[in-house]
Amino acid sequence: MIKRSQRLAALLEMPFTRALIALLVILALGVLFNADGTFFRWDTHRDMLRHISRFGILACGMTIVIIAGGIDLSVGSVLGLTAVVSAKLSIHMGLSAWVAVPLCCLLGIACGALAGALIARFSIQPFIATLALMVFARGAAKFISGGKKISQGVETPEGFQYLDFPQLYEFLNAKILGDNVAVVTLVFLLCVGVSWLLLARLRPGRHLYAIGGNESAALLSGVPVGMAKVLAYAMSGLFASLAGICQAAQETQGDPEAGVSYELTAIAIVVIGGTSLSGGRGGILLTLLGTLTIGYLEKILSINAVGEAGRLMLTGAIIVSAVLFQRGRK
Amino acid sequence: MRKPIATLVAVVLTAGVAVLAGCSKSAPEAAAPAESGAPSAPEKKTFVIGMSQCNLGEPWRVQMNKDIEAAAKAHDTLKVVFKDAQNDTLVQQNHVREFMNQGVDLLIISPREAAPLTGPVAEAYKKGIPVIVLDRALLGEDFTMFIGADNRLIGEAAGKWVREKLNGQGKIVELMGLQTSVPGHDRHDGFVKGLGDAAIETIFSADMKWLQPDAQREMESALARFPKIDLVYGHNDPGAYGAYLAAKAAGREKEMLFVGIDGLPHEGRVYVEKGILSVTFEYPTGGREAVEFALKILAGEQVPRNVVLPSRFFTPENLAAGGELIGGSDAPAAAAP
Repeated sequence: MIKRSQRLAALLEMPFTRALIALLVILALGVLFNADGTFFRWDTHRDMLRHISRFGILACGMTIVIIAGGIDLSVGSVLGLTAVVSAKLSIHMGLSAWVAVPLCCLLGIACGALAGALIARFSIQPFIATLALMVFARGAAKFISGGKKISQGVETPEGFQYLDFPQLYEFLNAKILGDNVAVVTLVFLLCVGVSWLLLARLRPGRHLYAIGGNESAALLSGVPVGMAKVLAYAMSGLFASLAGICQAAQETQGDPEAGVSYELTAIAIVVIGGTSLSGGRGGILLTLLGTLTIGYLEKILSINAVGEAGRLMLTGAIIVSAVLFQRGRK
Repeated sequence: MRKPIATLVAVVLTAGVAVLAGCSKSAPEAAAPAESGAPSAPEKKTFVIGMSQCNLGEPWRVQMNKDIEAAAKAHDTLKVVFKDAQNDTLVQQNHVREFMNQGVDLLIISPREAAPLTGPVAEAYKKGIPVIVLDRALLGEDFTMFIGADNRLIGEAAGKWVREKLNGQGKIVELMGLQTSVPGHDRHDGFVKGLGDAAIETIFSADMKWLQPDAQREMESALARFPKIDLVYGHNDPGAYGAYLAAKAAGREKEMLFVGIDGLPHEGRVYVEKGILSVTFEYPTGGREAVEFALKILAGEQVPRNVVLPSRFFTPENLAAGGELIGGSDAPAAAAP
């Protein structure tokens, strides 16, 4: 009997269990306030997953960076930049997905690697380096787009011309498995899978945990700290670019203003999941739970048509409660 | 470690100088003729207009600047210097002071907020710089004139159009602009007034904060909750378009009509032309009118204190003809310039 209660207590101590309980509480709220049964329809859940996927993808990169003891404020801007570039390449230039997607990914990786290099090589604090990149990338997005949304309608002297909607966007917007799952949700799950492999199964992942736990100790024990940091930020940049492509597909255009303050949502997702902001502790499955928690919270507030003021206050209160609940572990 | 930092700093500084050189090209051009040209040929003087824009992040304001630029281009006596305050009131205050110290011949300002900008603008006005206030009003009397459209009238026109189109009954969704902003309230209040006593029920309304992705999300919730929706009223075109995308994803876009506001040439009017929106109501930028009035002021002519811009609406039928004025015969007493 004692053994069982001890095991239960140990289970309750796990961050994963705590994150799961937070999610279940939110789901219970959904059951309670189901908006005339709307919450019980699969469509509601599918749409929630599609909407939160972009944030989830950003949160995957954010998790990797935070575990390595850093922070990445640039993900929202890099998302905006790649959304614009993706729309330019796919809609205006009509390039196929096989060219456009790798180019966008390369751009994202380059942005991330640049931030990583500034942090690792020049010892600029992650907050400052990624803040600079956040500002720069937003500027680049506005420069490339000329301050306008990149859409199918193109102004010519004779009036407007309409370009074809790219197959890539058509594909990303599609629902598969009998109309039940959005493709962007699968992209998100793919990102979760890749991050899980890196963090839980591969050597560089162990290095990231070591750096986040104690950087000097990691350096002394021969961990290639610089390379590992560049890798972490490059991964974050890569995921931000994938989210940017999904954003452009869902909006059917590249908006240079897309992704403003998305980095804060991504950080909230990571923290609610239970990954420690001080680095070294956490994991990608926690972030998956955090993504669902935030996603369901938004959806439940939305289907009940709660006013904006109420939404903001409730979201803030729930973030704090979830984090306190995570911290309540011994 | 030091050398790469020095290199990096050098590269950044060089790039910075290059960018500044590129941007400021127009400024000296603008100022030089005014100084050198004045003594020899006073009647061919070039006027420098300072344009203080509060936020170029919004497409509508990008259009306003474009309208001003296009209108000014037709007059080689005008040079316009644009500044973008990037949605920061204090930055815009500085811009006004910079224009004042620079000694521009006229100031056009589209202020972010009334109270904090009233002081700096009044200072410039009292120093003898004529001021045209665009879109959002300032407090007090210390400016030459105000030019703006009336969101309440536009909302009312939308309400009347919806009432007529739905034959006075139906279930609608309203996706509202930021509800802490005056346009968001006016477009709602006017709309309600336009609907009048019609049996039109707003079954779902949400604040989408002018943003397309937010409108998409809210519309998904509305679609999930209500099996029948007759019409969606979006407080701006991106909002109405976001709702359309959500309805299309649910395969229900044919069941309802979509109504938007703003009617920008590359946005709302394109959606109308493609048959996505049934109608969009123009919220005119006033850029062209501002330049026309600026010419009159600089020529020493009298101008009205307050100009309400007429607004047009665009449907697939009237788009080619350039839209129609709202209100028809009983249009408001809007003074067209």
